[in-house]
Amino acid sequence: MIIADQKPMDEILEMISGIEKLLVLGCRGCVAVCSAGGDKEVGVLASALRLGRKKAGKPIEIDEATYVRQCDPEYLEPLKKDGKKYDAVLSMACGVGVNFIADRCPDVNVLPALNTSFYGANLSSGEWAEMCAGCGACVLHLTGGLCPVARCAKSLSNGPCGGSVGGRCEINKDVPCIWHQICKKLTGRKQDQLLREIVPIRDWRPSGHGGPRRRIREDLLP
Amino acid sequence: MISGSNLEQVLTSGQFTVTGELGPPQNGNFDVVRDKARILKSHVDAVNITDCQTAIVRMSSLTAGLIALAEGVEPVMQMTCRDRNRIGIQSDILGASALGIKNLLCLTGDHQKFGNHPQAKGVFDMDSIQLLGMIKAMRDDKKFQCGDEIKSHEPRLLLGAAANPFADPFEYRPIRVAKKVEAGASFIQTQIIYNVEKFARFMEIVRDLGLHEKVYILAGVTPPKSVGMARYMKKFVPGLDVTDDVIERLKGAKDPKEEGINICVDIIKQVREIPGVAGVHVMAIGWEQAVPEIVSLAGLSPRPGAKTVEPRLRSSESIELIVSNAKKDAKAEIEKALEQAKAEAQASRDLVVKEKVRVTSEISGLKRQAEEAKTIAGQKQTEIERLNAELAKTKAGLGHAQAVRGLAEKRESSALSSRERSALTSLRSGLEALSKGLGINKDQLEALRRFFEAEFLLHMDTAEQVTVPSEETAAPRKEIEKPEAEARHKEVVNLVAKGNVLLHKNDAAGALDAFEKALAIEPKDQKAGEGLKKAREAYEIAAPTEEAAAPAVPEGVPPCPEGLSPEEWQQKRVIRFVARGNVLLHKSDADGALKAFKQALELEPDDKKAKAGLLKAESGEVAPVLVPAEPEVTEKTEVPPTPEPKAAPVTEKVKAEARKVAPAPTEPTGIEGLSVAELPKETMSLSERAGPVPGNQFTESCTGAICEVSLGEGEKALTVGGSSTLPFYMFEGDMPHAPQVAFGILDSEPEDWPDVLSKYYSDVFSDPVAWARKCIDDYGAEAICLSLVSTDPNGMNRPSDEAARKAQSVIEGIDVPVILWGCGNAEKDTETLREVTNLVGNRKVCLGPLSDANYRSLGATAMAFQLPVVASTPIDVNLAKQLNILLENLGLSPDQILMDPSIGAVGYGIEYSYSVMERIRLAALTQQDEKLQVPFICNLGREVWKTKECRLPSDALLGDQERRGVLMEAVTASTLLLAGGELMVMMHPKAIALTEALIRGMMG
Ligand code: SF4
Ligand code: SF4
Repeated sequence: MIIADQKPMDEILEMISGIEKLLVLGCRGCVAVCSAGGDKEVGVLASALRLGRKKAGKPIEIDEATYVRQCDPEYLEPLKKDGKKYDAVLSMACGVGVNFIADRCPDVNVLPALNTSFYGANLSSGEWAEMCAGCGACVLHLTGGLCPVARCAKSLSNGPCGGSVGGRCEINKDVPCIWHQICKKLTGRKQDQLLREIVPIRDWRPSGHGGPRRRIREDLLP
Repeated sequence: MISGSNLEQVLTSGQFTVTGELGPPQNGNFDVVRDKARILKSHVDAVNITDCQTAIVRMSSLTAGLIALAEGVEPVMQMTCRDRNRIGIQSDILGASALGIKNLLCLTGDHQKFGNHPQAKGVFDMDSIQLLGMIKAMRDDKKFQCGDEIKSHEPRLLLGAAANPFADPFEYRPIRVAKKVEAGASFIQTQIIYNVEKFARFMEIVRDLGLHEKVYILAGVTPPKSVGMARYMKKFVPGLDVTDDVIERLKGAKDPKEEGINICVDIIKQVREIPGVAGVHVMAIGWEQAVPEIVSLAGLSPRPGAKTVEPRLRSSESIELIVSNAKKDAKAEIEKALEQAKAEAQASRDLVVKEKVRVTSEISGLKRQAEEAKTIAGQKQTEIERLNAELAKTKAGLGHAQAVRGLAEKRESSALSSRERSALTSLRSGLEALSKGLGINKDQLEALRRFFEAEFLLHMDTAEQVTVPSEETAAPRKEIEKPEAEARHKEVVNLVAKGNVLLHKNDAAGALDAFEKALAIEPKDQKAGEGLKKAREAYEIAAPTEEAAAPAVPEGVPPCPEGLSPEEWQQKRVIRFVARGNVLLHKSDADGALKAFKQALELEPDDKKAKAGLLKAESGEVAPVLVPAEPEVTEKTEVPPTPEPKAAPVTEKVKAEARKVAPAPTEPTGIEGLSVAELPKETMSLSERAGPVPGNQFTESCTGAICEVSLGEGEKALTVGGSSTLPFYMFEGDMPHAPQVAFGILDSEPEDWPDVLSKYYSDVFSDPVAWARKCIDDYGAEAICLSLVSTDPNGMNRPSDEAARKAQSVIEGIDVPVILWGCGNAEKDTETLREVTNLVGNRKVCLGPLSDANYRSLGATAMAFQLPVVASTPIDVNLAKQLNILLENLGLSPDQILMDPSIGAVGYGIEYSYSVMERIRLAALTQQDEKLQVPFICNLGREVWKTKECRLPSDALLGDQERRGVLMEAVTASTLLLAGGELMVMMHPKAIALTEALIRGMMG
C-alpha cells in the first residue's frame, strides 16, 4: 500500500493561514491503514488545527469527513458540490487523492495534509518499510523476490556494491543490504547462476522517466 | 593494443605495474593538480584522477586528468554512475577521448549521502558493470548505448574497474570481478589492502576462476598517515578492513608517518608475492609526497619511461618550456658552429704563415666557409623568431579556450392478537378493497367466492384451535348479508365447530353426535362429513390405543383429505410416522422413535424405511442426519471448534461409531462428506478490536427496522426479518432472527440437473412428498420451497388442479414451513396457487411469485387467508418499492411480504443484485422507507445450478464439478446474505450445510 506521513503541524497551519472554513477530508484507503489519513487521524488533525488557530486568535470553522477512497470518481461525486462550501479542503489522502480532487473538482481548493512517501509494508505496529518503487518492469523473478530497485540505495542491477559489509548497506548500518539478501537467497536456492549473468542496462521509461504513466485495459473501457 | 596508453604498455609488458592516485581540489586551482602531478611524475605508470570521491564536489576528473596529462603524467580518469545519466557519461567519454585520455576506471560511485550534498538526487541510471559494457560497446562496436552508430573517432579507452575483497558476501566478490571482466574491464584496482591474508584468499578464488589470465589485478595500498587515520578508516569507511596489527604498529611507532610508509611498503612486498597480482595501486590522497619513497623502498623504481604520454592540449607553462628549450638548443648549435669556424680560421692563418704559396688560392675557400657559418646562424635566428610567433598564437588560442568554457413497528395486526380477528379484518378490508371497484366484475365475483370459502375454512380452523369460542367466529358472518339459508348454515357451522372441539378434547362420541346432527341439517356439508369420518376413526381407535393416539400425535391424525385415495392416505401416514421416528431418533428419543416406527409398520408391515428405523431405534442409534439444525452440530463436524463440544455425552460418540460399523441399508449414498467445519466465532468484541478508536468513529446505528414475517405454523414456524441493522452488524443493532435456508424442490422430475446435484434426490424425484421428507429427515431442512415448474405453459403444462393436489400432498405431508413458487407465468400461477389455498386453506403457506401482473388476484387471496407472499420484481429499487406499495394499498400488511429482488448467481450479475439489495436495505434502515422494510427472499439455487460452470464436467483446470457447484451456490448465498438476504432457497445439501455454518458463525 501507499505509505504517507502527516506534514508538520506548522507547515499545515501556514498552508491554511488565510482559510476560515475548512473541510478536513480523510480517506479510508491506504492512508487509513497506515494510520496517516483515516477517520481517526481526521478527528485528531481537525482538533489540533482548531486549537492551533484558536490559540493564534484566529478561530477557524472545520468540518470533518472521510471518504471510502479519494482516487475513484464515484466517491468524489459529492465533493463537487459540498467542496464549494469551504474555503479549502485539506485532503488527508495520498497525493493521488489530492491530485484527483484537483482534476475532478475544479471549484475546490484542495490542499495536501500528508507527505506521500512510498509503497511499503507494515513491518510491525508503527513501522513501515519501502518494498517496491513501481518501476514498471519488475525483476523480482530474478532476484529471489527481493526488490533491488526500491530496496538498494543505488538501485543496482548486478549485485552488491563494494560498500556492502556484514549484510548492511553502505549508507547506514541500520539499513539491510538487499543485495546481500538476494545473494544469500539465490545461492540457497541453487539459483546462483542468476548472480553470474550480467543484467543489461535498464530501460527506465516504464518507471516514469518516460513521462506520466497511464494504464489502459481496452476490454474495460466504457 | 586497445588504447596504446602507457599503462597498457606497462601492463602488457609483464612488468609489475604501479599506479598512483590524485584527488582534484575542492576549488578551481590549477596549480594544486599540477603540483601533485609533478610529485607523482615518473614514479608511477599512471595516476587515477578521482571523480568526486565520497560524493564531495571537486574539480571534475576529466579536467584534472588533462592537467596531469599536460604535465606528462598519464591519467586514469574515474567515472561514476552517481552523477550522470547515460547521456552525460557518453558525452564526457567522447570529450575525454578527444583530448587524449586513454584509461578509464568505471565505478558505481559512493552514495551521495556520504558527501556534502546528501540532498542530491542520485542518478544511478546504471551500475558499474553496465557502465563498462556501455563504453566497451562504444569502443569495440562503435555504438552508442541506444544502438546508434559512432561514425568515426570512437573512444579508444583502456577500461578498468574496482574490486573490494573485503566487502560481503566474500564468496561473491570474485564472481563480481568475473562479471566486470566479462563486461569489459582490462584491469582491476582493489580496495585498500591491510588484511593481506584475506586478500590472498580472494586471489586464490580469482585464480581458480582463471581471472588472473584475463585481467590485470592491481592491489590497492595506502600508507596510513597516523593512528587516527587508521582508526577512522576502520570505523567509517565501509568495506575497509584495517587490521589491529596495523593500528598497533602505528601506536608503537616513534614516527608514525615513517611507520605508515613502512607498513605500505611491507604490504606491497607481500602482495607482490601473490600469484596473479600484476601491480599495485598506491593511494596516497593528500600525501602524494610519500609515493616516490614508497615506490623506491618497495624496489619498484625507476619506472619505465613514459614515452607515449602526449598531451593534446598543453598548459601555457609547458609551452613556454618547450619554446625556451628550443631556443637553448638553437643557441648552442650556433655557438658550436662559430667555434668551429674560428678554429678553422686559425688553422688557415697558420697555413698562410707556413705555405705562403698556396694562400691566395685558399682564401676564397675560407671566405666561403665563413659565409656558410653566417647563413646557419641566420637560419637559427629565423627559427627562433618563428617559434616566438607560434608561442604568441598558442597563448592567444588558450586565452580564447578559457574564455569559452563554461548545468437502512410493528402494525395493528400486531402480534396476531388473534388469528380470527385478523382474518376478519382482512375479510373486511378485502371487501373494502374490492368495493373500491377494482374495475373488473369477474375479479370481484371471484374474490367474493374466495372470501366465502375462506369463511368456512376459517370457521373450521378456529374450532380446531379452541382458542376462540364459536360465538365469536359467528360474529363476522353477520356482516355478510346473505339471509337465505344462512340460519341453517349457521347451525351447521356451529355443530361442526362443536364437533371439532369435542374431537380435539378426545371426546369422540360427543363429536360423532355433533357431526351427525350437522349432517341431518345439511347432508351435503363436506366439513361435517369429514368430521364424522374423523370422529368415527377416533372412536374406533380410542378404545385400544388411547394413550398412544393422544400425546404422541398432538396434532391428531388428520382425516383422509379429499383428492386422496385411502391407500394414498395410508402411505402418507406411514411416511409421517417414519419421519417422526427419524426426528425422534435424531433427538435421541429412542422410545418415541420406536413407537413411531411401530405405528408405521402397523399400517404398512413391509415398509423398508420403517423397518430400518425400527432396527436403529431398537439398537439405540442416532439417525444419520448429517446436517442437523441445532447445536448437536458440533459433534458432527470434522473440526471441533470452541470449548462447548466437550459437553457432548461420550455415549453419543460411541453411537456414532456404531453407526459406522452397521450402516442402515436405506441410507442414500453420497451423504458422507456433507458435514462442514464450523466457522470459528469471533470472541473479541468490535470495540476491543478497534483499540483506541472511539466507537462513534465506526458505528452508525440505523433508525429503521425490517418487518418480521412468519412462515408456517406450530413448533416448526420460522420468522425472518426483524433486523434493525445492516446484515450481521450486531455491533450497531439487533438481528433477532438468523437468516434461514429453505430447500428448493420441484413438483416434477428435473430435466436438466447435473448429476452432482441430482444424485442426492434422484431416488425421490418422482414423489415431491418423499423429496420434501428427505430434505427434512436426511438433511435437516427447516423450510421447503416447492417450485411448481410442472405447470409452466411452455413446458409440461400440468393442469392447475392436478398440480395443486400435488402441492397439497407436500404441504400436508410435512410440518415445516412451505413456500410455493409458481412457474413464473402470472395467469397460470394465479390459477394454481388459488387452487392450492382452496385445498389447504388452514395451512400458512407462502405464495409466490407475485408480479405486477397478478398481484391483485393473488394479493386478495393472500389477504383472505392471511398468507405471506413473495413480491417479485426485476432488479430495481423503484419497481420493488412500487409493488410493495400496490400490495399494501390492496390491504396486505407489510409483515406478509417477502421481497424477491431477482437475483443472479455469482458470475451472472450478482453484483447488480447485491447493489440493488444493498440500496433497498439502506433506504429501509437509514431513510425509514417503510415501503421497503420487508425481508428479502433469494431463490438462488435454481440460478446457480443452471450456470455453465455447474454443468461442465470435472477437469484439471476447473477442478471437481461437485465441489465447484457447491462453492458456486454457497458463495452466491453468502454474498446475498451479506447484501441483506433473509431467506435463501438453495438446493445442494452440502452448499446448504456450508451456508448454515456460515450463518451460525456470523450470528456469533
Ligand atoms: S523490480 Fe520494479 S516493480 Fe518489481 S518490486 Fe522492484 S520496483 Fe517494484
Ligand atoms: S550496500 Fe547493498 S543496498 Fe547498499 S547500495 Fe550497496 S548494494 Fe545497494
